[in-house]
Amino acid sequence: MAKRERYENRIELVQGTLDMLILRTLQWGPRHGHGIGVAIRASSEDALQIDHGSLYPALHRLEKQGWIDADWKMTDNKQRAKYYHLTPAGKKQLAAEKTRWSQAVGAIARVMGRRRSPA
Amino acid sequence: MARKWLTRLRLGLWRRDQDDRDLDDELRFHLAEEARLRVDRGASPLDARESARRDFGNAQRVKEVTRAMRTMTSLETIAQDLRYGRRVLSRSPLFAFFAIASLALGIGATTAIFSLFNAIVLRTLPVKDPSRLVALSFVAGGSRQNNFLTYPLFERLREANTTLDGLFAWMTVPRIAARIDARTEIVSAGYVSGDYHRILGLRPVLGRLLDANDDRDSSATSVVIGHDYWRRRFAADPSVVGTQITVGDFSYTIVGVEPRGFVGTNVGSTSDITFPLRASRHGTTGPQPWTATNWTWIEVMARLRAGVSQEQAAQELTSIFRAMGPGVKPLPNAAPPTIFLEPAASGGQSTLRRNYETRLRLMLMLLAAVVLLASLNVATLMLARAEARRDEMTMRLALGAGRWRLVRQLVTESVLVATLGGILGLSFAWWASEALLRLAVRDTAVTAIDLTPDLRVLAFALLTSVGTCVLFGFLPALRSTATLRSTGRHEVGARRRRWLERTLVASQTALSLVLLVFMALFIRSLQNLWARDPGYVRANVAMFSTDARLAGKKGEEIPRTYRTMLDALAALPGVRSVSISTVAPVSTSFYFVNGVGRVGERELRDGERVRAASNFLSPGYFATMGIPLVAGRDFDARDDPDAPKVVIVSERLAGKFIGPAVGQTIDFAGGSEVIGIARDNRYASVKDAPRDVVYAPLFQSAGALANLQTFEVRYDGPSGAQLQAIRTAVAAVDPALTLFNLNTLEGYTRESLSQERLMAATSSYVGAFALLLASIGLYGLMAYAVTERTSEIGLRMALGSSPGGIRSMILRDGAGTVLAGVVVGFGAALWLVRYVQGQIVDLQPMDPASFAVATVVLVIVAAAAAFLPALRASRIDPIVALRHE
Repeated sequence: MAKRERYENRIELVQGTLDMLILRTLQWGPRHGHGIGVAIRASSEDALQIDHGSLYPALHRLEKQGWIDADWKMTDNKQRAKYYHLTPAGKKQLAAEKTRWSQAVGAIARVMGRRRSPA
Repeated sequence: MARKWLTRLRLGLWRRDQDDRDLDDELRFHLAEEARLRVDRGASPLDARESARRDFGNAQRVKEVTRAMRTMTSLETIAQDLRYGRRVLSRSPLFAFFAIASLALGIGATTAIFSLFNAIVLRTLPVKDPSRLVALSFVAGGSRQNNFLTYPLFERLREANTTLDGLFAWMTVPRIAARIDARTEIVSAGYVSGDYHRILGLRPVLGRLLDANDDRDSSATSVVIGHDYWRRRFAADPSVVGTQITVGDFSYTIVGVEPRGFVGTNVGSTSDITFPLRASRHGTTGPQPWTATNWTWIEVMARLRAGVSQEQAAQELTSIFRAMGPGVKPLPNAAPPTIFLEPAASGGQSTLRRNYETRLRLMLMLLAAVVLLASLNVATLMLARAEARRDEMTMRLALGAGRWRLVRQLVTESVLVATLGGILGLSFAWWASEALLRLAVRDTAVTAIDLTPDLRVLAFALLTSVGTCVLFGFLPALRSTATLRSTGRHEVGARRRRWLERTLVASQTALSLVLLVFMALFIRSLQNLWARDPGYVRANVAMFSTDARLAGKKGEEIPRTYRTMLDALAALPGVRSVSISTVAPVSTSFYFVNGVGRVGERELRDGERVRAASNFLSPGYFATMGIPLVAGRDFDARDDPDAPKVVIVSERLAGKFIGPAVGQTIDFAGGSEVIGIARDNRYASVKDAPRDVVYAPLFQSAGALANLQTFEVRYDGPSGAQLQAIRTAVAAVDPALTLFNLNTLEGYTRESLSQERLMAATSSYVGAFALLLASIGLYGLMAYAVTERTSEIGLRMALGSSPGGIRSMILRDGAGTVLAGVVVGFGAALWLVRYVQGQIVDLQPMDPASFAVATVVLVIVAAAAAFLPALRASRIDPIVALRHE
């Protein structure tokens, strides 16, 4: 929130999409929290900046929902880190959110693409 | 997941700390990783660390939010939900009142019946290890299974068995006259074999209890008294031990007081004073039961030895029984003599239990249906409210509340309602079970039943409340938080069908129809019993019982006293005739002649032997009772002890003779001449069919005179004054004569139908309550529908609909739901009546009248419930209605 003035070309996350992004990122394998943030930023070509202040609450919320699970593992640099991975329930959730997302995007696109203004 | 759960469990108290440390580690790692990334991009390590931390924001705040995400504990939420629930309920007091009241009445009534069921059927005896107690019964010589044993059999089993830790016998006498401190009073008595108390494992609260030495021979003089009697009669006086009690000519000494809570081994029959078994024959002459092998009079219980199964013990006892011979001439093809054991943890064979067990079960089922109904009703209300709270829910969902969180909130409100309903219900049950018991049992002073709610009753009430709550709480909660659709309120004519509400109301209607049918059946059955022709004239007869022996009369004094009483009563103004009988016209105890073998010239073979009831009468009985003699004459002064033995037989029995019965002999009392035939009547109960009866002259039989006698008095005029006059007249004969159960024959009949009356009363309660609930449910549904359709109705009226048209439109709307309920209920009732078949008399279970009455009542009440909303709809002002939106 505090960074809005610096990144005018970055997109504010639509409410509820962070969860979906996290799940999507974990689809490629287990990652720790920092890695998830980096991955989202990277795969959005730096367009999406994850606010770290909301990343960890979101991770713990997803963990509590049973959509992701975590283990403490060693990183390549021999540091202890908490690695998250998708659970089967999480995979289902991701699929559901994807569908909803594409419906929403389609709907918004139709609205935005309409030329004639309403009477 | 499972592994994780285990870890959490193991960690227990440390879990929270551990999680906090993990979070610290996780964030520290994040910052380190971010710093490393920035160093890789060319920042200095110091800058990288600081900028990473700055960009992360307030780490402490992130930790707090994360922790909240994880540790919003259930307890905190519950307290929050409860507070909120209370506020919501107090905002709609009418809803809260109705929901709580209907649950309280439903749960209360069910719990009341359950406490009775618990007290009569389930509760175990307050003795040592009751689960090892078994009750004995036997079959021999083709007789029915008998739970009364002979004394020789009891003694033999006691001596020869190796599988029991003891065997004891007892008999009870509901009323004896005992003199204590120069005052005569009526007490209930138990006569028990010497080791009764020892085998039950009871400890006295005072003095000692009976032991084998007290029951050696007829010189037994020690007695103990029950705890309740001790408190009632002696005000718990600790010096009661040593008090003298006189019964007849014999004096006994109180040696101890039984423990609190113990009221005997059979539910419903208590003993104020417990005597040694030998004392039961004090003052009797003639044959004694101690060696008689055909005199079944004692009940027997045993305690199984540890490690011995019931089957093993039964096998051993049976073989002992067979070795000694049954003592009864066996019928051909009769099953071999056998002893049966039954678990007796909750007491032995009890009349009370036999009479009520099935009925109480049935009532519990009916009431379960009502609780179900009450829950459905609250569910309907909750749904209506949920509808009204849709906006609130939509808002809260939009603000980010989780669906389950909202469901939990709504369920908490239901729990609140159910808990209040349960608590009120339990207090209602306390009161109601007492009232029901008074209705069910003639004499609650003699029938001590412990109704104090125990854990089982509390658990029952709790489970019922929780069950109802789940039922009425979850459904509406799920419904109101379901994905929201357009409410359609603004579209004229587009009404939602509310299938869920309609189904609920229809099932309520169906259920109430079933219960109303049951109610109608039970009431009609009771009416039928009452209207049955008993074969005598019920009105204007007063009855009482007395026993001259209790007033100290002996031998010849006894018949003389009775004759004097007959004369004194006959002389009363308004009295038309007086008589005595040994078996009262409405009575639970009566005697049988075991197999009349010869009628007239006709020898009856084994299979045809008549099991006739016997009664002993003074002259004038048939006139007093209004039973016509079909042939012959009544007994009179001629039939004295020295005259030839004569009897009168019932029409049914007379039909077994070849030719006219009068003048022939019958093998009764060693051969008696039949001098008359009395019209058949319902001998001892209106529930009875007419029996084969032998009536013999009372004053001809010394044996019959040594019994409690019942006097019948036919009178003119009001009964109250006559009852008083009778009391005075008897006291004038001898003030020592005690009158038992002075009442009219109608009063006796009413009491004898107490079980049927209990069923009728309970089913009426259930039926009326069900009807009320269903009509409120229907009213709620219709009222809500009208509110919802206000603008539609307004538009219709603006377009020219008449108020009458609107009314019938709304009524039609409700009629569909009711009709569906009636059809389903009718079918269900047709199928379910089989379960009450055994409980109804003189009635087809599919009695058309009962079904018709139930349906008509239901439809009328439903119409009334739907009419009010319809009326309101027809009075809607179109202008206001249309502007409303």
